[in-house]
Amino acid sequence: MEATRKKKPLTLPQNSIRIIRIIAALLLLALIIVRAMDVAAKSQFGADTWLRLSVSGLIIGGMYALIAIGYTLVYGILFMINFAHGEVMMIGTFGGYFVFEAFNAIQVSGVDGSQLSFLNAYPVIAILLAFLAGMLIAALSGLFLEKFAYRPLRGAPRLVPLISAIGASIFLQNAGQLLFGPQRRQYINPVVLDRGIGWNLEVAGSTVVLTYTGIFSLILSAILMVGLYLLVQRTKLGRAMRAVAQDKKTAALMGINVDQIISRTFVISGALAGAAGVMWGIHNGLFNYYVGFLPGIKAFTAAVLGGIGNIPGAMLGGMVLGIVESVGPAVLGIDFQLKDVLAFTILILVLIFRPSGILGEALTEEKV
Amino acid sequence: MKTVLEARQVSKIFGGLVAVNKVDLVVPEGSIASIIGPNGAGKTTLFNCISGFYTPELGDVLFNGRKIQGMLTDKVAAMGIARTYQNIRLFKNMSAVENVMVGFEPRLKHGWMKAMLKTPDYQKEQKHIINEASRLLHYVGLAGLGDNLALNLPYGAQRRLEIARALANQPTLLLLDEPTAGMNPQETDAMKDFIRQIRDDLGITIILIEHDMRVVMNISDQISVLDYGQKIAEGNPKEIQANPRVIEAYLGPGAAALSEKYRREKLHDA
Amino acid sequence: MNKQSIQKSAASGMVFGVIVIFFALIGFTVVFSGLIQKALGQSLGVGQIPSTSSLLIFLGLLGIWNGWRASRQDKHETLNTKKVLGRSVIAGLVAGVLVMAYALIVGALDNRGINLRTYLSQLSSESIKFFLFNQTIVVGGLIHVFYSTLMAVMGGLLALASERSRERVKSTRESIQKWSQDRWLGKLRGNPYVSYVLMGVVLLLLVLLPRTWGAYWNYVMGTVGIYVLLGLGLNIIVGFSGQLVLGYVAFFAIGAYTFALTTAPEPHNLVWNFWVALGAAVLAAALSGILIGLPIMRLRGDYLAIVTLGFGEIIRILLKSDILKDFTMGPRGVRNIAGPTLFGQSFTSDVDFMYLIILAVLLSIFLARRWQESSIGRAWLAISQDETVAQATGVNTQKYKLLALSLGAAFAGLGGALFASRNQFTGPEDHALMVSINVLVLVIVGGMGSIPGVILGAFTLKGLPEILRELENYRLLVFGALLVVMMIIRPEGLWPARRPKLEMPVGQENEPVPLPATTGGEK
Repeated sequence: MEATRKKKPLTLPQNSIRIIRIIAALLLLALIIVRAMDVAAKSQFGADTWLRLSVSGLIIGGMYALIAIGYTLVYGILFMINFAHGEVMMIGTFGGYFVFEAFNAIQVSGVDGSQLSFLNAYPVIAILLAFLAGMLIAALSGLFLEKFAYRPLRGAPRLVPLISAIGASIFLQNAGQLLFGPQRRQYINPVVLDRGIGWNLEVAGSTVVLTYTGIFSLILSAILMVGLYLLVQRTKLGRAMRAVAQDKKTAALMGINVDQIISRTFVISGALAGAAGVMWGIHNGLFNYYVGFLPGIKAFTAAVLGGIGNIPGAMLGGMVLGIVESVGPAVLGIDFQLKDVLAFTILILVLIFRPSGILGEALTEEKV
Repeated sequence: MKTVLEARQVSKIFGGLVAVNKVDLVVPEGSIASIIGPNGAGKTTLFNCISGFYTPELGDVLFNGRKIQGMLTDKVAAMGIARTYQNIRLFKNMSAVENVMVGFEPRLKHGWMKAMLKTPDYQKEQKHIINEASRLLHYVGLAGLGDNLALNLPYGAQRRLEIARALANQPTLLLLDEPTAGMNPQETDAMKDFIRQIRDDLGITIILIEHDMRVVMNISDQISVLDYGQKIAEGNPKEIQANPRVIEAYLGPGAAALSEKYRREKLHDA
Repeated sequence: MNKQSIQKSAASGMVFGVIVIFFALIGFTVVFSGLIQKALGQSLGVGQIPSTSSLLIFLGLLGIWNGWRASRQDKHETLNTKKVLGRSVIAGLVAGVLVMAYALIVGALDNRGINLRTYLSQLSSESIKFFLFNQTIVVGGLIHVFYSTLMAVMGGLLALASERSRERVKSTRESIQKWSQDRWLGKLRGNPYVSYVLMGVVLLLLVLLPRTWGAYWNYVMGTVGIYVLLGLGLNIIVGFSGQLVLGYVAFFAIGAYTFALTTAPEPHNLVWNFWVALGAAVLAAALSGILIGLPIMRLRGDYLAIVTLGFGEIIRILLKSDILKDFTMGPRGVRNIAGPTLFGQSFTSDVDFMYLIILAVLLSIFLARRWQESSIGRAWLAISQDETVAQATGVNTQKYKLLALSLGAAFAGLGGALFASRNQFTGPEDHALMVSINVLVLVIVGGMGSIPGVILGAFTLKGLPEILRELENYRLLVFGALLVVMMIIRPEGLWPARRPKLEMPVGQENEPVPLPATTGGEK
């Protein structure tokens, strides 16, 4: 029995596709190495530049990692991408901003009788409260986001919550624009944490500044990441989260309130994004309603890079992406304008060649 | 007797779990072969290996002598293997007749280019397909229901629609995954007879995964028993019913001895 | 009233209170009240604060809705006056108190002379006073509480009245439907000439209107037409075959730039014939659809969306950057793009261009409809419903997905080329993410997979904002909210897709069942 007549093949047999992929990957790798060697030969950049780029990459990588964890947590539990997560970070940035502004406006008499703003008189409290405010309001945003835009759509075909997420993202971005105006605002840091100053290192004949804001962000990122890891691995809530991520129905049968766990996941992921948002404001200074868009996509790239659904993977992916984004254009000898293109390209390449990411398991074939 | 399907030492491994462990299966042409076993034994996984959803890590799957493991599922369908699913997977928002029409896809002589231009050849073929699809609906007992959306059909009708869609592939091998699940005794009986009728009328070889022993014992020419991914018994219905390993697989260790004891007591009382 | 009922009413009130405060913060209250004032025939200058009466109408509508929702808490219960009053009063009070708190805070700060506009850009002093009904803060606040409660009660009573008369309304509606069906609708539907007459009327309008409604409307409706083109194309990709693509603007850009670079004197000095360039644009877009599609075939929904978003952004950044400046003219864009010519005569007038767009749209509708109803459309639908099973049923999913991408891209290419030709210019700013979002929203709101839905969507989402110019700032906000709301209450869109009726009757009741054709061994 001949069931098919010979048709013009528009598809290639599976083995050829695999071979093509491998060849393409090798070609790409070869290209990168050649470029890098070329740049190294020309040695445009001194050791000081490399250090500067690496450090700034690490710092921003920490922020990406925090946001990426948020994506991965939500994906692990709901198998959807929370498109509006970047906007949650933006909300955190605004939260911290307003706290600093408020504290800056209040005048307090200093020790020596001079007038100081509260911000500079009690910087530690101010910073603490700014982070708390940013994290809290971002966490609440995550909570309401899930409650209004995602929960009603549980069980709908995959396209539906995705579109809702996109809608929520657009809505939040524009709400931000309408509420606070399109103009860029500047974070007023306490003098203690002023932008641009830090420890000066003499490297290769010029000064590399390890900014206080940068170091602060990096340390705080690390603390939060460790804290989250402990929460997921050691606490009852973390166990419940992992259970729900593995098998919702069984978790429910075991007495876990699945809805509540999902809400709490969104709260945690929002809090982390909020922290990243405040860090962004402290370190980078300028921001507006659009500040969450690019970091959101890049953090998603980082989460995929590390292995979506995998928390250490998100952390790793964030750091790697931060460094690659900073150092990459220099290595490849391309314009720094194309930093974002580099990030997008990485996303596309990862999804084509290794969708399970660095630490992820191969995505299981669909169960039938 | 020609062998339609042969599985040789097929193994499927997920991470650390061996779901199917070196299973051999030989299905002669025109027979009804059943695969039974407790839940989680690997039956559907085996089906998935045969129909191309999974690629076995070890072993071969031969269809009419040709190795097909790892083939894309649409090629497998074009070769003549069709299947139904444990939890019904119809195209919910399409009408019943359209569901069946999708099954004709591999044998379309006038494909997408002619469809885009709507040539007369294409139109004629489409009319023919609609006709054939209606006939198939009539054959499975769904005449007149063709324009209903698949999701609006009652459960039993949906199962039969899935079979109609599979038959549209004009398969030589039909894989049915728990076709009587969720049915009451009358529906089960009707389905059992219908399966036999398909084989008798159309000469299609059928492999069946089933839990309902009345169906299995009644229509199977051969039964293979899986437990924990391995084949533990094979034979005709009488042999399987008496096989102590099979009884233990379903009822636990010690059950075989117990059941033998009851059997003797019954004989004694009779 | 039990505790749960109180909680629900309070929750409803809270939600509405927050909504009112949100609207005030984004300036929507002022703008919409202005609209109401104009709708009532009174004039309102630009930047002028509307009258208090229009504010009262706006708040009143919201308040009534609050009371309505709070009263109807359960689908299966019957309402009585006591329940309704209790619930709506609570909802109204809660909302009113929240709003009063907001008004007091904001009013007090304003009284102290603090300029709130540095933080909340819509809170000018005038708008704050407007929100307080031009009274003192305490009086203004109390008016809010009182009015909110009053309106909520009205809403509740309305809900009660509507439920009581529901039976009557339903039977009246049914009898009217039956009457009109018997009298004229039924006859109209059955009559084949009716559709021809309707088509004739539409065609007549399409010929006459562009000549008579002036250049402005030709421009606006032309843009709507181009968006219909884009919508039809995206509909093929998202609606027919179920692949969510967020970077659709990439194909639009490729079409526009191909056309631009082959007809403009700079930078390449290629001055091709209009029609040839148009064809090249469509072809280039279609090819890019295949090229972009090949590597991403394996990707699932969410990943596919983000990757295509990435592609769209990459193309925009590259177009804008200085790197490809020599090829694409960088941020400045391409100028002096050709207009249409026919046998040497150029017809670039707005009327002629409108006809061109209309022709393109009609052609696209025709083609899209044909493909949707064909075996291709069936294969696409199967893929969008359950791709794995579609493939196992014998559908070559890769082929059909690429086909959808390619055809959808071709439509975008056509739209892009026409857009560039009409403006005689194109630049990177024409190809922002916003275009992708606009098209996506109109496809989804209109109805995924539905051709009339897409047309409706284009008219509503591109045409309406032209009419409601004042609400332009809130357009994206509404889009975002619309996407979420539509997914929750009506995911199939405003005009859902419908499949044609196909089954053919087979044989009579008593005839033996005909066997289906087989290739198996005959017994």
